[in-house]
Amino acid sequence: MSLLTLPSNREEGWRWSDLSALPQLSEREPTGRVPTDLPWIACEREGPRLLFVDGRLDETRSRLGPVEIGPVDVTASDHPLARLAGRSGWRLRLGLDHAPHGLVQIVHVSTGAADHLAAQIELDVDAQASICETFIGEGWANRLTGIRLFKGSRLMLSRRLLGASGFISQVDHAQVGQGASLVVASLAAGGTDTRLDGHYALDGEAAYAEASSALLARGRQRHDANVVVRHAMPSGVSRQVWRSVADDRAACSVAARVEVARHAQKTDGEQSLKGLLLARSATINAKPELEIFADDVKCAHGATVGELDRNALFYLGSRGVSPDEARALLTRAFVADALDRIGEEEVKAAFYADVETWFAGR
Amino acid sequence: MNRPEDIDVRNREAQEAVDRASTYEWGFTSDIEQEFAPKGLNEETVRFISAKKGEPEWMLDWRLKAYRAWLGMQEVTWAKLDIPTIDFQDAYYYAEPKAKPTLASLDELDPEIRRTYEKLGIPIEEQKVLAGVEGARKVAVDAVFDSVSVATTFREELKKAGVIFLSISEAIREHPDLVRKYLGSVVPQRDNYFACLNSAVFSDGTFVYIPEGVRCPMELSTYFRINAANTGQFERTLIVADKGSYVSYLEGCTAPMRDENQLHAAVVELYAHDDAEIKYSTVQNWYPGDAEGKGGIYNFVTKRGMCAGARSKISWTQVETGSAITWKYPSCILKGESSVGEFYSVALTNNRQQADTGTKMIHIGANSRSTIVSKGISAGRSNNTYRGLVRVNGGAENVRNFTQCDSLLLGDQCGAHTVPYIEVRNPTAQIEHEATTSKISDDQLFYAMSRGLPQEEAVALIVNGFAREVLQQLPMEFAVEAQKLLGISLEGSVG
Repeated sequence: MSLLTLPSNREEGWRWSDLSALPQLSEREPTGRVPTDLPWIACEREGPRLLFVDGRLDETRSRLGPVEIGPVDVTASDHPLARLAGRSGWRLRLGLDHAPHGLVQIVHVSTGAADHLAAQIELDVDAQASICETFIGEGWANRLTGIRLFKGSRLMLSRRLLGASGFISQVDHAQVGQGASLVVASLAAGGTDTRLDGHYALDGEAAYAEASSALLARGRQRHDANVVVRHAMPSGVSRQVWRSVADDRAACSVAARVEVARHAQKTDGEQSLKGLLLARSATINAKPELEIFADDVKCAHGATVGELDRNALFYLGSRGVSPDEARALLTRAFVADALDRIGEEEVKAAFYADVETWFAGR
Repeated sequence: MNRPEDIDVRNREAQEAVDRASTYEWGFTSDIEQEFAPKGLNEETVRFISAKKGEPEWMLDWRLKAYRAWLGMQEVTWAKLDIPTIDFQDAYYYAEPKAKPTLASLDELDPEIRRTYEKLGIPIEEQKVLAGVEGARKVAVDAVFDSVSVATTFREELKKAGVIFLSISEAIREHPDLVRKYLGSVVPQRDNYFACLNSAVFSDGTFVYIPEGVRCPMELSTYFRINAANTGQFERTLIVADKGSYVSYLEGCTAPMRDENQLHAAVVELYAHDDAEIKYSTVQNWYPGDAEGKGGIYNFVTKRGMCAGARSKISWTQVETGSAITWKYPSCILKGESSVGEFYSVALTNNRQQADTGTKMIHIGANSRSTIVSKGISAGRSNNTYRGLVRVNGGAENVRNFTQCDSLLLGDQCGAHTVPYIEVRNPTAQIEHEATTSKISDDQLFYAMSRGLPQEEAVALIVNGFAREVLQQLPMEFAVEAQKLLGISLEGSVG
């Protein structure tokens, strides 16, 4: 990986990033050690299961269903990390009105080195799918996902970034067609640094897109996100809910932009970026950006950074809740805002359990 | 180097260029003999300016240092602006009205300049002051006509209070120690491309010093005016408020019609000691170019205030309706404990104007507070961007910031953008940011029109309501002027 050319902080999109660990991670050899206990979510309706170890499918422990493995048609050549992801990986293409049987689960295990993988999701008219990806292990997992949603299709994509150490980078490129709906919800609650990039284009009328994430960081961890929701057609609705929690010397940075093109009238775009600082030396960075070229739109953003509300703590205290409990309660509620949109109860429960595990490690 | 016949030729050329003026309401030029620095920019130009102003050696060295640094710097490209290439060699860097005998009173002021002020619409109160009407409210005017201050009123009264209100060239001569101490202390020479250029070639500007415990007895005001064709204007303003003092400073400007684009790169530095307060208000109405975007002023301004002392306060209020390109971020460095920074802004763009404006609030001191209220109005084919930074350093406990930036779009060919940066390193900080984007609702418009207002007036009324929170912050005469300005600037944008 001597070809690794990484952007510098002087580039606007990488202003708060720290990619200094990547060259070293790229040169390491994978150990290939896969834990026996994998974080599959127990579901009432079991769907396809894919296990990738260092970016390669472990066929013995996978059940592909409608998912195919092979070359994928997705490009994001202008993105320095997406460029590395390559052109092969997994592909989910669903025909008219189709849906896989149950939740599609994908577990990515990195065993100490760098692995790159691309993916393509294409849902035809009125098709629907729910996919949950879980990242564990150590090393650098670099992913590129192309998403294409045709008229009326629906995709729920949830991601658990639980790597113990190293780096996880995920780039999404999505086109959302007429009346289609895309919800991407992520939770970073491991020990790894992360970088999330998303470009979600509402290319059809009355399309819906939501990008919600909870980023939890401690130690010297860094979470870094850069997301653009582009309204190219009228009557689209978008929501972005970001909740960052930084403890110790950690930093969470979120740059989220809503773009409204010239003719995308009746757009309704909303952003909510909130940061919670748990320690003096922690950092929260936020850049909620609006770029609007149409006049009949409803766009708003709100951003707050601070510590837990003293009034709320006092109120809980007056009700007999201990200070520690009150803190935990309010912090969980803070994080929950970003995870509430997850559809399946089992998936949501798994996410909340991850949050609990994170808090338990405090 | 500068033969008289050359000067005549240049003056004639300048005059001819100006005569091509057409529709701009305030697009007139006064016929005053100019003396230009040679066209272009090199060390000689810098030396010429310094020599012309009879500056001491240290000042020349300071300028040369900036000029040499500037040569190695790059123009900024991060703003959401489409800036045509500027040929820095194709401009004059110095123009001065020919020396007149010292005036005993303002009545003796060059009638040509007086007329210019009248056309500029200097508020009635100040016109009374200029006409010497007894009992007129006191507003001190330090008029900057092109590059050199030609008149300063009320100097005596200010002197009694101990306030120093001089052109910066005079201040360099009369109070070199003060100028030397503070010049470049808030905006360092190498801060950015345009500030660096200004440091090298600034022609004139204002220096204000308010001594300890003094509340400046009047509002200080400067009228800027770009007058000679192709003369870049490089103003330098330095305001120092010593412990426990207060000053309110007004800045307003219009410029005549011009075909070539004009560059304006000013630097304003404010310095507030313990318990001092500086209120800085601007109404900016430079020529924005015609409906097709031809001509117009390029306004690249670096404005920054240093709240150095405990409980100091700096408040910026701006109404920006002019200029083809506005690049301007009046900022506050809140270093003192419990210091306060405020930024109130209305930026209106029409036709093909571009504005990228906002503020920075850098919280270093504990308990420092800041408020940002920005109202952007876009019409025609213009683009209006709010760009701001709120930073809380690790050591700054209990910082409070509230930011509100609202955008109003008039028509479907314009753009409104909001680019706020929030960087917080202390958990005790409380940072809130809100932004909305909307258009004038049909209901509001219908209601206003059903009451007999023509559409344009109805729109102006609603826009004024939208901007009210900011206009309220302006001193009264300015507020009235600013309201009218919003209406005038929107002409032709509706219906």
